Amino acid sequence: MEGKKINTEEENLYSAVMILNTKMLGLTLGISIGLVIFIATNWLVLKGGHIGPGGEYIVGPHLELLSQFFIGYKVSFMGSILGFFYGFAFGTIFGTLIGWIYNKIVELRK
Amino acid sequence: MKASNEAVNDKKVIIIGAGPAGLTAAYELCKASIESLVVEKDTTVGGLARTVNFNGYLFDIGGHRFFTKVKSVEEMWNEVLGSDFIKRNRLSRIYYDEKFYYYPFRISNALLNLGVWNSILVITSYIKSQLFPQRPELTFEQWVSNRFGKRLYQMFFKTYTEKVWGISCNEISADWASQRIKGLSLFTALRVALLKQKNTASENSIKTLIDSFHYPRFGPGMMWNEVKNRVIDNGSKVLLGADVEKIYLSDNKVTRLEINIEGKSEVISGTHFISSMPVRELINKLSPVAPNPVLEAARNLNYRDFLTVILIVNKKEVFQDNWIYIHDPNVRLGRIQNFKNWSPDMVPDQNKTCLGLEYFCFEGDGLWTMPDEDLIELGKTELTSLGLADKTLIENGTVVRMPKAYPVYDSSYLESLEVIKQFLANFVNLQLVGRNGMHKYNNQDHSMLTAMLAVRNIRGANYDLWKVNTDKEYHEDISQAERTDVDELSTLATTQPLHPRLFTIKNEKLTGLDLLIKAFARMDKFAFALAVGSASGLAIFVSTFWLILTGVDSRDPNFNLLGQYFIGYTVSLSGALIGLGYCFLWGFIFGWLYAYLRNLSISVYLHRVKRQAESRSFKDFLDYI
Repeated sequence: MEGKKINTEEENLYSAVMILNTKMLGLTLGISIGLVIFIATNWLVLKGGHIGPGGEYIVGPHLELLSQFFIGYKVSFMGSILGFFYGFAFGTIFGTLIGWIYNKIVELRK
Repeated sequence: MKASNEAVNDKKVIIIGAGPAGLTAAYELCKASIESLVVEKDTTVGGLARTVNFNGYLFDIGGHRFFTKVKSVEEMWNEVLGSDFIKRNRLSRIYYDEKFYYYPFRISNALLNLGVWNSILVITSYIKSQLFPQRPELTFEQWVSNRFGKRLYQMFFKTYTEKVWGISCNEISADWASQRIKGLSLFTALRVALLKQKNTASENSIKTLIDSFHYPRFGPGMMWNEVKNRVIDNGSKVLLGADVEKIYLSDNKVTRLEINIEGKSEVISGTHFISSMPVRELINKLSPVAPNPVLEAARNLNYRDFLTVILIVNKKEVFQDNWIYIHDPNVRLGRIQNFKNWSPDMVPDQNKTCLGLEYFCFEGDGLWTMPDEDLIELGKTELTSLGLADKTLIENGTVVRMPKAYPVYDSSYLESLEVIKQFLANFVNLQLVGRNGMHKYNNQDHSMLTAMLAVRNIRGANYDLWKVNTDKEYHEDISQAERTDVDELSTLATTQPLHPRLFTIKNEKLTGLDLLIKAFARMDKFAFALAVGSASGLAIFVSTFWLILTGVDSRDPNFNLLGQYFIGYTVSLSGALIGLGYCFLWGFIFGWLYAYLRNLSISVYLHRVKRQAESRSFKDFLDYI
């Protein structure tokens, strides 16, 4: 009898399908992406840039492209803070979306 | 089994068998001021837990370590034995090829003893079993080989198991290995694995009893003789040499027994009956005769029998162990007890050693019917061939046969036992207790507990003795906190009707399992791939669209960098759609791969945890044979 009960527990474990916690996933991804942008920006700031053809000081010209999406973003310390919040927002939405779609599909497949 | 409402003084309990179960029942009845009469076929008490005296040398039938999780049993032992209940260190190794192997196994010791070549063969065999396990896993041989390798199985499990049970290992079900040796719960294994990582230096770490045990100074017989004396001093009776010949039934009750003492028949009546006699014999002694299906079921119950050849060796130390397992296929003996190492008081002369050579057999087979002198000679020869002692040092010997030492769990026993249980349930004043009484391969403490609960039933409780199964939670590794926290009798008393499952807290188990399921459940690969693909595709689409809306020059190479990876991508509406497609595809692949790898690593982890728990659970396998 005990053996049968134990097998049922194992069966439950092996047959269970994960459900994502969308809030947590969103939060995690938000923090992760926010941090990536924060660190990447400050990395370039600390690394330093170069003098452009017009004599201007250019830092992180490629990362600067993010300003197209994140209005007000710059490759500077203040920009890194702003970038963190933008990244956090983007990551949260992205993660929540993934979690929501995943849970819906799992529910449909059940 | 409901007790009658008769007053205490009106009760007279007849107990069949003066082994641990029978005598415990009598002892408990004395405490409750209920008269009892114990009838025992043999001329000594103790049953399987007796101690025999041979020229001043004391020896037991098999080894009887006194350890338990049951508080009331432990209390009784201490109450009866007092300071004669001594603590002994345990050492019991495997003797194979004239070398001692630690048991539970120690890898370094095993490999050293095996030597280089054998070690390589064992390791190769183990790797082979991990890479190419035998499937399906139906037999004990396959179960053990899959976990330890064929070679190790043949050296250390096959021979001994077959000696004990007389059955080939490829005829024993694989279930016996996994269920007999403590039901393994993946939940428990995970909890141990996860908690162990946090609490490696915990003060409440698991206390193992494998390294030591308690034992009565002059053997388990000392315990049961003392219990007998106390029972008699309290006014109850113990009749020895009294063979039960008939058990009379009437109106759903047992009414009386017919016993034979010294050739004379006598009838004894009682109000309640507790039986620890082998259930097969019980059924055959019923009058009127039991129905044919019940008789047939009784015939289907089988036993493994046991004999021990005692040799007095004129040598101070033969080996240091309390007992050793003999895995050598060239000798028939299965175990050797060294009773001086159980307690120094077991031998009158410390310069000599009393050894018990244990042979597993079937009543009536070649070993069983061998004359005592031949058995002693066999013992001497085998002891010498093992290199443990020279024949010339053996001064004296005797033989003790113990029929029905182990109930056999063959393929039909469960069904047969169920038939018998259902039939005997009709008799409201009869309870079965003990190993042979219940045809249950249990230890002494379990027998005692069933007897204690049987007495409580007589006093008005309603325990189902067949549900008392400390085997499930019975393991030697228990936490000190658990032992002091749990009072199994008061716990049992608070539940009616009572199913005494000890140490199980159901709610905690369920919640924990739910959490584990949440943590270790597999991820749906398709769903996750679709989710990541969709979200990624959407992100690129929205980003591209945003760039279009903000009026970015679509010819700017910076914004067309994605085109390096997504051929055809541009910052335009068509590009946005192309980007959506590409990102969906790559997101899908990445998501699927992530989910696959996650599930794979979880699966590997669970497999590893389960295997580790199985190995841990199996390490004292020989104790449960």
